[in-house]
Amino acid sequence: MRKGALKKKQKQLEELLLDRREALGELVLGMYVQNSWDDDLLARGSAEVAEVETELNELIAGNEPSGPSTTEKDFPVTGEHRLPSGPDAPETSEYTAEHSVPASGEYTAEHSLPESTEHDYPETGEYTAEHSLPESAEYTAEQPLPDAPIEQTKPSRAERKLEKKRRKEEERRQKEEAEAREAKQRAAEAEAARAAARKAAEEKAAETGDTENKPDPVPAEPNSSPVPAPAPPSATAPTPSATASVPSAVPRAEDDRPSTGITGDASGGDSPERGGKAIDVPPPPAPPKPEPTDPLDVLEKQLDESEARAKTAIEAAKASLKTDTQTELSAITREVETGRNDLDEALKKAAAAIASAEEKAAKAEAKLLRETAAGRESAAEWVRSQAAEIEADAALAAEMTRDGAPESEGPDPVTAARVASLEAELAAEKASKEEALTKAAARLQEIERNAKLAEARVEAAEHAAAEAKAKAEISARSSSTSAATDKASEAESREAAVNWLRGQITALRQEISKGDSTDPGGK
Amino acid sequence: MGLFGRGGQSGRERRAMRDHLDELDEMRRTRLAELGKTTGEMASVGKFDHARLSEQAAEVVKIDREADLIARGLEEGLTLQELEDLARAGEESGSRSR
Repeated sequence: MRKGALKKKQKQLEELLLDRREALGELVLGMYVQNSWDDDLLARGSAEVAEVETELNELIAGNEPSGPSTTEKDFPVTGEHRLPSGPDAPETSEYTAEHSVPASGEYTAEHSLPESTEHDYPETGEYTAEHSLPESAEYTAEQPLPDAPIEQTKPSRAERKLEKKRRKEEERRQKEEAEAREAKQRAAEAEAARAAARKAAEEKAAETGDTENKPDPVPAEPNSSPVPAPAPPSATAPTPSATASVPSAVPRAEDDRPSTGITGDASGGDSPERGGKAIDVPPPPAPPKPEPTDPLDVLEKQLDESEARAKTAIEAAKASLKTDTQTELSAITREVETGRNDLDEALKKAAAAIASAEEKAAKAEAKLLRETAAGRESAAEWVRSQAAEIEADAALAAEMTRDGAPESEGPDPVTAARVASLEAELAAEKASKEEALTKAAARLQEIERNAKLAEARVEAAEHAAAEAKAKAEISARSSSTSAATDKASEAESREAAVNWLRGQITALRQEISKGDSTDPGGK
Repeated sequence: MGLFGRGGQSGRERRAMRDHLDELDEMRRTRLAELGKTTGEMASVGKFDHARLSEQAAEVVKIDREADLIARGLEEGLTLQELEDLARAGEESGSRSR
């Protein structure tokens, strides 16, 4: 296979692997949503993934796969392929890959269903392209209905929306109910408060009527008027003591007029002619209290009412304060007790901590003492060792002093003087040598000069000798006897010059040797 | 608001939502592939750890939920704030139902 083709195939396989993995993931997701795990199905899906993976690995390794490639099989990416296959027909009939189904999907009984050895298609032939089975009841007889698709179990957005709406509605209803209950309770409380106020006002009115001896035009009316029904017991109502503290007016008035009230039960017993009838016959409804028409009366009434209200409120406040104070007192007492307990516990703990600290301190002190003693001992030992060392050093020093005191004591004056004299001698010697050398040099120069002079003289003598020779030759030619005498005189002069020179050189040598002997270290 | 505006949603929000939806789709595919891979590995061992598979599947479900929410936001033209409120309400109701 060509390289390009291999690459293409590899790419295809990679894509297929990814698709199959995704499809397998979808399958797992569906199982998770339905909460029904089918390991067999998972194993099959995994096998398909593994198949592609193996082929891809082989291709990467360079082995050309033999047989039909998995890429040639047209599997959908939905993960609905390769459901239970084989002779046992699929239950869902959601197969797509294995069959080539016309795109129209209009399969009806008229069309011949695709021939397949793998599946038994139902006789109704109502398969669509998507192979979604009809939901009608026609499907029950031939084969079991397919499982509900995953999407059905998973609520759609619309369903969720509806559900949310329903939930919200329910919440709203509950809230409304709670609010209604609360309002009812509040109304009851208000009613109780109003009743209490009214009662207080009536009492006040009765009191003022007694103290001022005002002639009451209809004295029985206020008392005979139906007493407002007691407020229903409420948790939030003012304490019962508020109304209990002023119970005097109404009962007293009733005592005065026993025939008018229901409570005249005892007084009914006192009057024999009424007997038990008073109980049986309900009292006639009291005529309504005439509304005051005079503005002053109205104002007075309002003032009374407000006063009564204020009084009630004050009493209620007092009572609540009292109860609050009691509650607070008990709470404070409890708190104090708790605090005391806590304090005791804390004190106990502190005592324990102090004891442990003391114990620790004692231990630490003992340890410190021990360490101090050990330290002292070690210090004393160290001092002793140091002293021994010092003693040894001192002994060594004494010994050394005995052995070589002069060396150790610095330069000796005698030696120094000796050294100085030696140095002076040496310097003097050097100086004399230099002087001698200078002299010798001067002498040498003189000798050289003399030698040069002697040489000059020798040359002159030679010259003269040569001249004389020439003269002699000339004279020899003239006379043979005179020649001999010339030669002898020439030899004699030569001999004298050489002797002089030899004497000069000898003297010079003697001078040099003398200079050397006088300066043995000189150069 | 523009003439063709969709509720209180701005164009930027809409774009952001679309982008996020794309991201979620991509994430979903990746997670599904991972789930498939894990399943394959389990199959090779010969034992399926349902708890682990459920964990991974739950993540995909979460992504699906979020995608649904974003899609709803796009459909109904909700603002990001509204979407957030919706998500919170959903969470609260979910926790309450739990």
